Amino acid sequence: MQDMNLTDLFVSLTDKVGLNYQFLATGYEAQIWRDGFVTTLYLVVLLIPVSLIFGLLFAACLTSGRLWLSAPVRAFVEITRNTPTLVQLMFSFLVLNTFVSNLVGGAQNNPLTPFFWVVAVVGLHIAALHAEAIRAGIEAVPASTVEAARGIGFNQLQILRYVEVPLAFRASLPAIVNNLINLVKLTTVGNAIAVSEITYASIMVWTQRDNVVELMIVILAFFSLINLIVARVGLWVERKLAVPGYGL
Amino acid sequence: MTTATLLEPRKRSDLLRTVGFVALPLVILVWSFIDLTLGRELVEWIPYLASGFAMNIVISLSAMALGTMVGAIFGILELAPYRLVRYPVVAYVQIFRNAPHLVLIFATTYIFPFEIVIFGNYLPFPDWVKAVIGLAIPASAYVAEITRGAILSIATAQWEAAKGLGFSRGQAMRWIILPQCLRRSLPPWMNVAASITMGTALASLVGVHELLHAATDASTAVRRLDFTIIAYLVVMAAFFMLCYPIARLTRRLERRFNAA
Repeated sequence: MQDMNLTDLFVSLTDKVGLNYQFLATGYEAQIWRDGFVTTLYLVVLLIPVSLIFGLLFAACLTSGRLWLSAPVRAFVEITRNTPTLVQLMFSFLVLNTFVSNLVGGAQNNPLTPFFWVVAVVGLHIAALHAEAIRAGIEAVPASTVEAARGIGFNQLQILRYVEVPLAFRASLPAIVNNLINLVKLTTVGNAIAVSEITYASIMVWTQRDNVVELMIVILAFFSLINLIVARVGLWVERKLAVPGYGL
Repeated sequence: MTTATLLEPRKRSDLLRTVGFVALPLVILVWSFIDLTLGRELVEWIPYLASGFAMNIVISLSAMALGTMVGAIFGILELAPYRLVRYPVVAYVQIFRNAPHLVLIFATTYIFPFEIVIFGNYLPFPDWVKAVIGLAIPASAYVAEITRGAILSIATAQWEAAKGLGFSRGQAMRWIILPQCLRRSLPPWMNVAASITMGTALASLVGVHELLHAATDASTAVRRLDFTIIAYLVVMAAFFMLCYPIARLTRRLERRFNAA
């Protein structure tokens, strides 16, 4: 009851300044819109760990020094970085998805949803950007440090796990946070294949209500807020992990 | 001996990069020759796809031109000594730097009218111009940040020296500070240009006839799975051939400026 009154108050107050938020008082459209916000947040929360895990994996391949590992990953990274995400998404959804459908015998058996493809494409796209940042960080680890680790008897994997990655991660953290902000923005491409994130939900509302400006104000505020939080958390992690005396 | 071993991996990676650059077009070419019916179909559609790609280039050039002009001015205003000027500009930059390109393209497309009236004359306001504005907004926000960063990176002693020589603040900015900023801000500016160029594909979602839209048209008209694949490969190859050289050049410039 209290919640309902607050909504009504908001609607009538904004109505006085000429903004039309009347759909919030209706059940159906308000529900679509709320679900849009939730889907976008869900995408962001899911994509951050996915992109980080694959980014680390790609970076490990890139710096492995083995051509059969680094060359395919390098090719993937370059293609991903230099073609639009939307094109990658359409390609995956229209081509790869059709292959999978044919493989399992018909689209009705295909377990892969548009939501899956958004996570896969955006996640791997940002992972490629992470990989570049982490690779630069790994290459910036002083050779003497790596030699010292080898001298203690660490093998290649242990050096990566205990020496290179912790130092590289700290060095590349600003770039990674930047990529995560891009990630938040990229979730909107889901619109193209009917994933009901916030822009898709908003189109549903404004085609009925003709209140684009009102919805835009909220969407811009929403993305500014998420990105502010991501940037702040990034800064906090950066401070938390800072190694005293390690020149960064 | 040591120089030879040092050069060897570099040469190898350069070779790989060159191979990478022509790999996508090569795949398309070889495939069209293996399956000639597919090749003929593709050749038929190439002019249509090319007209779409021309639109991508027009949108990206106009958006970057507009965004750079506005962004450079905003970058300077961000450092203005008056709060009344500074705060709105900082707010603009923060909001639109954090906004998804797609949201801004939707905003300009649906908010602006489809025609404007000037002195009783109805001028059409086509969708692609709206897409240009939609992409110029984030471009201007990025360029403003780049300009601000470049101005701040110049030693304050130079401002003082200029003052000592009798330059006013505006004159010092115009003749001493900004020329040095140009060089420093070139690599990040090129990054923005590449990102905006890739953003032009988003215009297909509001019905602008550009490359991705053209490829979708072509694949629905032909109705062959292999043609769909090759059409999207052409789209990827086109964007890759445009953006990859920019990225390579950016990295080279960055390395050179860092060394200097």
